[in-house]
Amino acid sequence: MRRIRPPQGEEVTIELDGEAIPAREGEPVAAALLAAGEKVFSRSIKYHRPRGPFCMSAACCHCLMRVDGVPDVHTCRTPVRAGMRLERQNAYPTAKVDVFESIDWLFPRGLDYHQMFAGVPVAQKVMLQVARHLAGLGVLPEKAVGQRLACETLRVPVAVVGGGAAGSAAAQALHEGGAPFVLFEREEVLGGRLVSAAPDPGAPEAPDPEAWRGSVRLRAPVIGLYDDAEGRYLAATQDGPEGPRLVKCYAEKFLVATGTHAAMVPFEGNDLPGVFAARAAALLLRRQGLLVGDALALVGWGPDLYSTAKLAEEGGARVAALVDMRRKPEAAGDVAFQGEPLRAHGRSHVTALTFRPEGGRARKVSCDAILVAAPPSPAFELARQGGARVAFSQEHEVFVVEAGPDGKTHASDLWVAGELAGPRSSRESGESGRRAARSLLGKAA
Amino acid sequence: MSKSIVCACEDVSIEDIDHAVAKGYSDVESVKRYTGFGTGMCQGKSCLGAVARHLAQSGALPPGRLVPFTPRPPVYPTELSALATAPVDESQPPIGSTPASLGYSFHALRPEAPVPERAKIVIIGGGIMGLALAHNLGRLGERDIVVLEKGYLCAGASGRNGGGVRMQWGTPTNIQLAKRSIELMKGFAKDLGINIWLRQGGYLFLAKSKAIAERLEQSVKLHNEHGVSTQLLTPDAAREVVPALSMKDVVVAAYNEEDGVIFPWPFLWGYAQSCQRQGIQVETFTSVTGFEVSGGRVRKVKTDRGDIACDTAVISAGAWSPSIARLAGVELPNEPHRHEILATEPLKPFVSPLVSVLDSGLYFSQSMRGEIVGGMGDPREPVGLNLGSTLRFLSRFSRALLEQIPAAGQVKVLRQWAGCYDVTPDNNPILGRTPGIPNLIQMSGFVGHGFMMAPAVAERTAAWMAGDNGDELFTRFNLERFRSGRLERETMIIG
Repeated sequence: MRRIRPPQGEEVTIELDGEAIPAREGEPVAAALLAAGEKVFSRSIKYHRPRGPFCMSAACCHCLMRVDGVPDVHTCRTPVRAGMRLERQNAYPTAKVDVFESIDWLFPRGLDYHQMFAGVPVAQKVMLQVARHLAGLGVLPEKAVGQRLACETLRVPVAVVGGGAAGSAAAQALHEGGAPFVLFEREEVLGGRLVSAAPDPGAPEAPDPEAWRGSVRLRAPVIGLYDDAEGRYLAATQDGPEGPRLVKCYAEKFLVATGTHAAMVPFEGNDLPGVFAARAAALLLRRQGLLVGDALALVGWGPDLYSTAKLAEEGGARVAALVDMRRKPEAAGDVAFQGEPLRAHGRSHVTALTFRPEGGRARKVSCDAILVAAPPSPAFELARQGGARVAFSQEHEVFVVEAGPDGKTHASDLWVAGELAGPRSSRESGESGRRAARSLLGKAA
Repeated sequence: MSKSIVCACEDVSIEDIDHAVAKGYSDVESVKRYTGFGTGMCQGKSCLGAVARHLAQSGALPPGRLVPFTPRPPVYPTELSALATAPVDESQPPIGSTPASLGYSFHALRPEAPVPERAKIVIIGGGIMGLALAHNLGRLGERDIVVLEKGYLCAGASGRNGGGVRMQWGTPTNIQLAKRSIELMKGFAKDLGINIWLRQGGYLFLAKSKAIAERLEQSVKLHNEHGVSTQLLTPDAAREVVPALSMKDVVVAAYNEEDGVIFPWPFLWGYAQSCQRQGIQVETFTSVTGFEVSGGRVRKVKTDRGDIACDTAVISAGAWSPSIARLAGVELPNEPHRHEILATEPLKPFVSPLVSVLDSGLYFSQSMRGEIVGGMGDPREPVGLNLGSTLRFLSRFSRALLEQIPAAGQVKVLRQWAGCYDVTPDNNPILGRTPGIPNLIQMSGFVGHGFMMAPAVAERTAAWMAGDNGDELFTRFNLERFRSGRLERETMIIG
């Protein structure tokens, strides 16, 4: 892990388990810790396996820490503030050396806690006590928090969720069509993968929302699509210096462009610190100027596998192996194979990957990070809550939202755009956003 | 380190998924429940795709049957303190329901093979009551039984409750049933080979008004008379049970350390597995569509997979019981009422008992995994089979919980869901024969508390069906009582 660009922001100090760590004001806590060489961020809930950041988008559990006395905080989405106090959780005596890791070795293939010791009198009692002792991740917050800002209620004709390639193209089209709207974006910037992922061929420019900036809510994750006596509305939390503020946004029409979540790909040790989702590694490189490793192994399939390898190489990394799990790599160099990843090696951080090339014998390559680039899973939660149908796509091997070419779903007031309907390029995502916006406005595509 | 992890939040390996499938839990909702995948901090964001892909690749489920588990709000973990600010008009009923109901998922999973043409006993409803009854009948030698469940196991209220079990009831009958149930739960793992994680951390009832305090005092007296050692506690003594608890406005508390919580899902599976071992058929994803009734008897139960001729039919369908009974021309007085519930992020243990504020209906406990699991009934909830969630509930619950645990303001809610209470006019169940159709047995109306009563009620119902006609339970709680007016009201209802 190294910085390849001088960091932005004022130099400050934060505290991790009592030790001072240099950081830059405003950068994600997880990025600061990675840059400082920290590897183990947390211990997993059952087996106390070591974990480091994986998705960098608050959609997994690897980077959770206690932050200023609050448990289970996603450090990948928490900006650095001078003097903030971080603590690793769920470990004894420390996260670096955790005696409960022995549970992991005791149950090498997993465990069925439904049947374990069932009906064995003494063992069962002990198990209950041990389980109770080991339960939970964080500890109750230290203190009560003051009253939050009052809930804000908005009423708009159109609500857009997600400001990535699809959502921001839709917003631009809505703006041009003269339709008032509000766009909710979880991140602190618009653009989604246009600014965070490895660039794909034909990718459009990142959006310039100058004309409609007033309609954008950044750092405002949408938590539900609800309805009440007044109609359907989004519930979101607007992050701010005074903590999260609840926002209710009633709309006549909803355009959901929530993108995707990084998906796990099963192989041994796939949760070791140093295994990153490909889009997380790209985000760290493009947004934070952090290269996650010098020698990388990439596993998975689909366009991200190749575009991320290219991005990392341009950033100064060496590709030690590229393992395409579905087809023969096009430009087969001496490190690119079709095959299966078998095992990530390392005790508390990745040191090597073993994989089996198609029809060949297992090989082990040294590496200091593994990037997982399976097609990410459409983030269908909100669309499904709103009444869209979701089906398993055999072609893409993910759940996709069922929608027409114009993004119209089974729910009469709900459109989707971008990768919710399946993997597509950022150019296609932008086009789908525009089509959905036009359809929603009642215009021909 | 040899595991391949699919769900990092709950440490579920690919082998755990295969093991669940091998045990017969192969639809996505059941795999989720058996392995715990998708129930942690990320609520399935990083694992659901991987699990679905694995189920498809391994042939465990054909792609057409791969239906994602229901994505519950909040989509991202959300602090109780922020949720508490959502405006609530207490004078109006709660309107709304999310996720929108689609109703196609059970249909996609319906087995193709027809149901058996004949069975001696058909039990409608594969929740805790129906499964426990079938298990007990089997133990008495009666195995020609088919249990019909319209969803997956745990799809109804039996899989949606908070797992509380208590002896603190308001009538001698219910106290005795609860005592027997908890006794059976203690031996459940030995008897049925599955852990239900009974943790006897007690139930702590709090009273904030004089009227409720008096009710609590009377009920403690009753408990003591019937061998339950409930204690009345001062607010200070109650704080010793849970130091994190605020006792503001609390007048008095009642505490019985023998009460507790169990893990609901394995409780059902234990009975279902016992049924299967005994040769009793449990048919999931199978809906009852009607009855053939003639000469004052049920002749056939009709389903979407064919008709089953039977000697006896039992309705144990919880909140769906009135609509099932109506198919046989029988009107039950039960009404379904939605009750909402939520779970927070998993925290290290700090609450041992299940805590309930009797004035508001707030209840919460900490699950085996450390989540705060709790709910609170809404006095304005309209009658209806509504299984969706509202922001209003999150707000009402958050406010009430933060009154009791002020330090929980920045604790995050991970998931909200709802189940239906099956409410009768006197808060007591309906058990026994149906007037005019004696071979139609009623077993419903447990008002959101059937889960904890099931072991004892099923034991007695099985014995009664097998010929022990002297049991007074089946006259005390029969359907006839609503006509004759012999009503004995249960007041210790929470949620």
